[in-house]
Amino acid sequence: MAMKFKAWLKTITFYEILVGMKATLKHLLHYRPITLQYPHEKRTLPDSYRGMLALLRYDDGTEKCVGCDLCEAACPSRVIRVISSEVPGEPTKRYAKEYYMDMTRCLFCGLCVDACPVDALGMTREYEWAVYDKRQLLLSKPQLLAIGDRSFPVREKRLELQHPNVAFFNVAFKFMPPKES
Amino acid sequence: MATTTTETVRLTIDGVPVTVPKGTLVIEAARQMGVMIPHFCYHPKLKPDANCRMCLVEIERMPKLQTSCSTPVAEGMVVHTATTVVNEAHKSVLEFILANHPLDCPVCDQGGRCDLQDFSHEYTPTTSRFLEVKRVFPKEYFSALIETQMNRCVQCLRCVRYCDEVMDVKALAPSGRGTMTEIKHFTTHQLDCEFCGGCVQICPVGAITSRLDLYEFRPWMLKRADTVCTYCGDGCHITIQTKGNDLIEVNSAHGAGRNNGDLCARGFFGYHATTHPDRLQSPLLRRNGELVPATWEEALEFVAETCIALKLKHGPDAFAGLIASRCTNEDLYVFQKFMRLVIGTNRIDGSARYGHINGVRALRRVQGTHRWTVAFEDIVGAEVLLLVGTNITETNPITGLKVKEAVKKYNATLLTIEALVPAIGTISNIANLSAHHFSVHPERFGNVVLGLIKAVVEGGLVAQTLTQRAPAYVEAISQTLRAIPWETLESVTGATSQALMEAARAFVAARRAVVLVGQGVLRTPGGFGVATNLLDLLLLTGKHDRPGCGLAPLAEENNDQGAVEMGALAEFLPGPSDLDDRAARERLAGLWKEELPQRPGATLMQILGDARAGNVKALFVVGENPIGSLPRAAQAKEALERLELLVCQELFLTDTARLAHVVLPACSYAEKDGTFTNTEGHVQAVRHAIDPIGESRPDWEILSALSVLMGYPIEYGDAKEILKEIRNLIPGYGLLGPAPATPRSDEAVVERYLREGYAEDVGARYQLTGAGSFDMAQPATSSAESDRRDAGKVKDGLQLTLVVGQTLFHSGKLSTRAKGLMEVQNAGSLGLNPSDADRIGVTDGDRVRLVNQAGEMTTSVRRLDRVPEGMAVFPEHFDEEARRLLTVSVDPVTQVPYCKSAKVRIERL
Repeated sequence: MAMKFKAWLKTITFYEILVGMKATLKHLLHYRPITLQYPHEKRTLPDSYRGMLALLRYDDGTEKCVGCDLCEAACPSRVIRVISSEVPGEPTKRYAKEYYMDMTRCLFCGLCVDACPVDALGMTREYEWAVYDKRQLLLSKPQLLAIGDRSFPVREKRLELQHPNVAFFNVAFKFMPPKES
Repeated sequence: MATTTTETVRLTIDGVPVTVPKGTLVIEAARQMGVMIPHFCYHPKLKPDANCRMCLVEIERMPKLQTSCSTPVAEGMVVHTATTVVNEAHKSVLEFILANHPLDCPVCDQGGRCDLQDFSHEYTPTTSRFLEVKRVFPKEYFSALIETQMNRCVQCLRCVRYCDEVMDVKALAPSGRGTMTEIKHFTTHQLDCEFCGGCVQICPVGAITSRLDLYEFRPWMLKRADTVCTYCGDGCHITIQTKGNDLIEVNSAHGAGRNNGDLCARGFFGYHATTHPDRLQSPLLRRNGELVPATWEEALEFVAETCIALKLKHGPDAFAGLIASRCTNEDLYVFQKFMRLVIGTNRIDGSARYGHINGVRALRRVQGTHRWTVAFEDIVGAEVLLLVGTNITETNPITGLKVKEAVKKYNATLLTIEALVPAIGTISNIANLSAHHFSVHPERFGNVVLGLIKAVVEGGLVAQTLTQRAPAYVEAISQTLRAIPWETLESVTGATSQALMEAARAFVAARRAVVLVGQGVLRTPGGFGVATNLLDLLLLTGKHDRPGCGLAPLAEENNDQGAVEMGALAEFLPGPSDLDDRAARERLAGLWKEELPQRPGATLMQILGDARAGNVKALFVVGENPIGSLPRAAQAKEALERLELLVCQELFLTDTARLAHVVLPACSYAEKDGTFTNTEGHVQAVRHAIDPIGESRPDWEILSALSVLMGYPIEYGDAKEILKEIRNLIPGYGLLGPAPATPRSDEAVVERYLREGYAEDVGARYQLTGAGSFDMAQPATSSAESDRRDAGKVKDGLQLTLVVGQTLFHSGKLSTRAKGLMEVQNAGSLGLNPSDADRIGVTDGDRVRLVNQAGEMTTSVRRLDRVPEGMAVFPEHFDEEARRLLTVSVDPVTQVPYCKSAKVRIERL
């Protein structure tokens, strides 16, 4: 009997609707908007945010990229195209003569960053890349380096100076560490 | 092969019983049953060295681990390749190797196809226990084509051993000790060798790489096409690797094709010719005296209309056609069909006319075949090899490798009749391996052959069976030879009768004898006669019908043999059958459903002569370049200038194409499908590697389109359809098997030759040649008196014989567009014996002037030990100026234009 009365009471007071509208009504009374007023307000990004890709440099300003094409091989959506070549004037040293990223296709999965053997690729926290012309999203090496320059102000030392025990990427003959006797 | 045994041995590898021939190495036995034992220094082509220690296996009842690459199998052997001990050994060896390896796989061109990389993934932990500083070699400039990065070297010495054992060049050597062993070349300046690329191909890691494609690719990007090299008659299998529409590299897998994976400089570094920026992109049509780009429709319609008008006015024999042997069989076949049916003339000829035809005609005349009766395997298996007039290591390098293998590996006796003398040089020289070398003037090769035959006849070495079978033939030859006294022969050959006798005896004693005759003979006056005499030599010694014996004329262009067999020559119909062979004509007419033209064909020189006389009005030239190939004395330019229509199908705007009324861009071998027939008569598939450059089309497609416009359609869907038609005509043509089915000599033809065929020119053939002219056979004296005499000579220069010939690094004019080959040799220089050079006082790089009555040229000098005194060699690929000096004479029988040598006076500038 008591159950029947309770159900009747809920029906006449529109209880279920009140429960459903609880959040709405609460916000009606305590007005505090959760929409961010982008672009005036911006969200705090998580540490592992995967934004725009960039090419990085060593602390002496030289490009890290050795043009090994591994990012191209790792990319699942064929964003990257590397045209590698010998560094002019430095025999047997390899670099990316041209480097293109077609960001219209990018999934921001970060596999290229994982694949890079010299950590020359980084994912920045940039995401404001809306453009009117899709062609502007085909980025070349200078553009990607510029993104890296503004996003990663702290740079690493050259590899051969970091690890004395490497004849790394055939550069060691130039920066040969002194032999310990 | 000479040493195959049928004895077998049973052993157990990883618990599986296996039976292999005696003498097999354990590593080979394992590979045959599918067990791959890791190795660096072992290679099937090389003798075991066992220096890398990677291939260790456990063999029961042997105290320690054994290197499987140097252990021959034994009866009852029990081998374990994957026990814990073996795996530990692999790990340790790799750890030692990796202790010094820079691990720069990401930038290494070998990364992705590197043995060290693969084995590391399979056998090693990811970390190393070595903390020491890695070995670093100072980088030195190596060469323009081959790059070394010694930090990556695993010191297996495969490159050094390949260079020595297979190539016989000996350009590389290890220097230093232990881990500091470094691969170096001998000179202080850059590497100077044959540039065969063998070291690049055989290096298991990335220590030796090609500089042409350095860092341009990663192995997984490359698309492969198995095709055939076009730079000589050897027909080497090559794999062209491409990225997009770019040619990246060429290589050849071990065991592939007739070359067994070996290549020469032209094959390995010469591939850029097809993508040269000068390639014709669109048809060119002459308007107001200038060649201007046109559309295909305009160009073809112009050709068709002009042809129809000319044919109505002058008849079909006012037309003629020339085709290069660089075209595929399909192109050659469609070309001759087009000329015979659409135009209605037999007046076609090809570049086999420059020499190869001499060999083919001799074979047909004496033994009724148009191909070799031997194959490359027979060269390797021969007991005695006679090389006549062929600097084989330069002209046909891969056939040369077979000769080297026969001599070095199977101890064959080598007899050489060559102008060049044995000398140590930067490239290999077959005369160095020769047991009986006769160095004579190029026009006197035939004299030494006569000497050999004389020695056979007078030394009582004539085969018994032949004396009984054809006494008149033997008598006729011995009679003509008796008329030539030994003294005269000795004086014109410079060889003693004893030496000739010994060589003849060595030749007769062998069970398997192969005679290789090169362009040095076939392109000099009397070439046809010498080729026939060499067949006489085989007949007289009773070898012509023995298995593994025969005459092998070496073709210069890749499809010379195919041009003969497709009937793209003046005297042949497809087959080849003779042009006046009634049965063949009827058969062909039945298949083509059209009567063949009756009137005789015309050879290259006749066509040019008729054009000069104004009888030939229109000429189709497919890939041929008579102006660029013939000396000025042949007056090819004057002939072609008189034509009313000159149509050229070309890759580049050649000297001939510049005169053309219409130039149609054709595809190179890398862009079309088809087949090539190599010098031994093996038909091999050509497959396209890249898309056609510009608007170029395959030659047969162009001719097919023309035939449609001219109202007599010869249409095919693709190259395969043409091959099908060729197979209808020549049963079994192009069975693309692993080895050619060599024909046997036709006994009926031999019988006819022995009875009466020989008689027509036996007197003319058995004559000494070149007597009385400049005497190279005189041994050089270095006494003070002769120096003074020579000093007198110098004032008015030194008399020399200029020979324009092939070099190792080029082939025809096409290879001069290949940037890799141009790095090695980018201009012609005059090869001169050092003592001749001293006589006129010049050293390397000095300029000299060559003069004769025909003209003069200037060039620079290169001192070469292998060039004999009294001779000067100049590469024909850069002979723009040299062609002015050359004279031309035409063979009375085969109509071959002989235009490769001239007498000149040389003086210092």
